[in-house]
Amino acid sequence: MNADQVAERDRILEELVTFVARSFMVQASDIDMDKSLIDQGVIDSFGLVEITTFIENTFGVKILEQDMTREAFGSMNKMATFVCRRKNGET
Amino acid sequence: MTETTTSARQPSAPRQRCSRCVLSAAFPSIKFDAEGVCNFCRNELGSRSDDAAIDRGRAMVAELFATPKARRATYDAVLCNSGGKDSSYTLKLAVEKYGLTVLSFTLDNGFIAPAARDNIHRVVDALGVDHITVRPALNVFKSVVRAASVLPIYREQSLTRISAGCNACISLVNTTALRLALEKEIPFILAGFTLGQIPANGIVYRNHYRFLAESREESMSRLRDAVGNDVNRLYEVPDSVIDRVQSYPYNINLLCLESITEAQILAEVGKFGWQRPSGVDGCSSNCTLNTFNNYVHDRRYGYSPYELELSHLVRKSLMTRSEALEKLADQPLEQLPYLVKLLALSPEDLATLGLSADGLVVG
Repeated sequence: MNADQVAERDRILEELVTFVARSFMVQASDIDMDKSLIDQGVIDSFGLVEITTFIENTFGVKILEQDMTREAFGSMNKMATFVCRRKNGET
Repeated sequence: MTETTTSARQPSAPRQRCSRCVLSAAFPSIKFDAEGVCNFCRNELGSRSDDAAIDRGRAMVAELFATPKARRATYDAVLCNSGGKDSSYTLKLAVEKYGLTVLSFTLDNGFIAPAARDNIHRVVDALGVDHITVRPALNVFKSVVRAASVLPIYREQSLTRISAGCNACISLVNTTALRLALEKEIPFILAGFTLGQIPANGIVYRNHYRFLAESREESMSRLRDAVGNDVNRLYEVPDSVIDRVQSYPYNINLLCLESITEAQILAEVGKFGWQRPSGVDGCSSNCTLNTFNNYVHDRRYGYSPYELELSHLVRKSLMTRSEALEKLADQPLEQLPYLVKLLALSPEDLATLGLSADGLVVG
């Protein structure tokens, strides 16, 4: 990632954190950005549905069946990176 | 300024509630300002965000239903029909407003009020809809409810909008509906959830089974430990079905797109002969087990699983605050002895739940 992409990724992460904190009634400071939200007990499977819908609607990113992996959704940082890459045309 | 109401858990104990909605002091992350108004009522950002999500949901539904239908499918949608007022009205919307050919499906959990069964038949007959009932092995379902009620099967964070017992049942409904949709190649799964019961970002979503099943594995593992492998056939879709999937169905909650009061819904479904069942609590219009599930949730967490939904309706002016409070207070706890007998709870279970050997609330 270049500097612009890093800045964009950070903005995406900030929006995701705001959404997760508001939707799932947790403090942003309590979220570990490198751990699965499910493993942290922040969300359940329906929470994943909410997040994927939020990502599609907010960032204009189409999430395909093959995208639904722990590699893409296994943490807040992974989600932000996934969205940033997809917005920049990377697969 | 604070306001107090009584709770089902401790009928004489005062409970602080938001002076605008009905959220109470034990609700997760709640804070009250000097006027006694909660942070959820003050959250204008969240309200605008929800409105935007509803608009997007409406646009998605219009687009999805306008797409030429897959001719291989006999039905456009399978509708999860509990027999309650909301799913009955959703069936009317699907048939009359959206022109869908619907397969109505009821999961009979053994606790559906007799009058609710009659309501199901009246509404599907009036609308000319095919209907099927799936009844899981009752001994297994009761064991699941018992485990969900006395053991930490689900994480607390997933139970802010729903009791553990209802969560176990709704998961079973969702899994069965998905299996039906996949087996019959039905592109849409409809349910009668309202906003507050589900978040605005959950109005329309694609049911990616394997991904979501992976995320449920933790609670499934606990359920297997408590109940045994019988839960697999209830909560899992066989690989033989999933392996053939070319496209997962969309889950759509049509009622979330409507701005309608409960009185208007009751008037509409009343035209089909729908009648409010007796023997259910103020927050249910079909299931007798709801009283038990509400009691367990309230005892465990100190608030009703319906507070979020009712508060949403109050904020949207679809229900008055006093109506919402009446619903929360309408908990026929005198039915607990009958319900715990049906569930065959052990003396240890009853003690855990603060119930006497006769199923009466003792503390």
